[in-house]
Amino acid sequence: MNPAVPALALGALGLVDAAFSGFRAYAGRDARIRKHRAVTRAALRGLAVGAAALLAPALTAGCVLLAADDRARAYAVLADGAIGYLAPLALYAAAVLLSLAAYFVLPFRASTLAVVVGLGPLTLLRPVVVGIACLGAFAGGGPASLLVGAVAGLAVLYVEPFVHRRWYAEALTADRSLRPPRQR
Amino acid sequence: MPHLEISDLITVTDPANGARLPVRRAEVVRRLREAGDPRAARIVAALPADRDGVLDPHAVDRLMIGVHTELQRLSEELRIGERLVHVLRPLFAALRATAGQGGPAEPLRLVDIGSGLGYLVRWLAATRALGPGVELVGVDLDAALVGEADRLARAERLDCRFVHGNAFDLPEAATVYVSTGVLHHFRGPALAEFFRAQAASPALAFCHFDIAATRLAPLGARVFHRARMRHPLGRHDGVASALRAHTDETLLSAAAAPGIRPLLYEPRGLANPFCTTLRPVLGVRPHLEAPLRQAMGRASRRLVGPEQLAGTPR
Repeated sequence: MNPAVPALALGALGLVDAAFSGFRAYAGRDARIRKHRAVTRAALRGLAVGAAALLAPALTAGCVLLAADDRARAYAVLADGAIGYLAPLALYAAAVLLSLAAYFVLPFRASTLAVVVGLGPLTLLRPVVVGIACLGAFAGGGPASLLVGAVAGLAVLYVEPFVHRRWYAEALTADRSLRPPRQR
Repeated sequence: MPHLEISDLITVTDPANGARLPVRRAEVVRRLREAGDPRAARIVAALPADRDGVLDPHAVDRLMIGVHTELQRLSEELRIGERLVHVLRPLFAALRATAGQGGPAEPLRLVDIGSGLGYLVRWLAATRALGPGVELVGVDLDAALVGEADRLARAERLDCRFVHGNAFDLPEAATVYVSTGVLHHFRGPALAEFFRAQAASPALAFCHFDIAATRLAPLGARVFHRARMRHPLGRHDGVASALRAHTDETLLSAAAAPGIRPLLYEPRGLANPFCTTLRPVLGVRPHLEAPLRQAMGRASRRLVGPEQLAGTPR
């Protein structure tokens, strides 16, 4: 396998995850019924923040390579670590995609199942999966890969709280100045 | 120990006139501690209060709107609107089918009791899922939530309205009363009284959705609210709601008011608990049961009365 493939796959996964993180940062903050544009905007904000955050592991990997005596060997080790890092994340991503497909395609009862046993618990499992991925990186590529993996993990986990605090700290629709309509 | 919901304790209104009553923080904290819920007591203790220890009503309103907005996200994700329409559409078809035989004249009026931010009413208005000739009204005792619901409806130009007050004091009679997640707030005799008030009204039917009381519900609520709600109050009350959910038998028994045929859709034993997080108890005037079952088609197998519930597997 080309050593760049796992790194590119991880980058793509990270960006997709960032877009979902942007959505989650916004979800529960807007009580309108029609909000496709707001959802898209939130996903794009997540994507932008994620793209910036993913520069951190890229720079870390660059520093590791620059500091190495044998850069070719260090690159190979990082590539092995990336494969170890990618494996649990790919499994997780497959489970999320399967749940999402079930949620959007199946009738409401089955879609409830997809949420209750899939999407809800999978959201809570994200930090755990990142931890397992870090172990995979260490097993595949040693301490240098663990360092890059840990930075990458922190970067992806940072997107949702950042976007939430930056743009969605308060419910978008709250307006205390209103008085309810009088009963007629 | 009773399971208490924080939101029931920090927003108190006079049932006679809907006026907001002052709530002493220390009193709420004491009640929660006595109920064996120190976590809830800590949540309330952190809420702002004035020098007399009365909870700041504006802060409470902001909090309630925020929590209900998060709650709406749960309803959206669980496709609660579709779940309701699955039952309400045949019910309205039955109402229309009987219109020429002493049934209701249009407009049919749906009144959502305890509508909160009015998600159900606004969603029905946006999707027009119940067809033409249905007036959509949301009623709640919480003035802040009603005001917000009204503002949201106007912002999206939705054909529905919201009223601050008691759903049984409306000047126009409801054809159908509905609610989501309200029943578990009525405890003891108040539950039967709630159904009796509807049976005594000119309404022809009611359809109240609430959390299905399964063994999985508290765990599911804990996981799902943890994953989807940010404020600790929302997380706490979501789990408390699941713990307070009424059993199928309790609901059917309470809904058996004079002049009403009580029915339960998707009782335990006929529904997968992973797929049915909320299920409705219905009450229809007896002449509506046959057309309702006809309109539901095969799904009517999941609609049971008290006599059938006794025979469903547990």
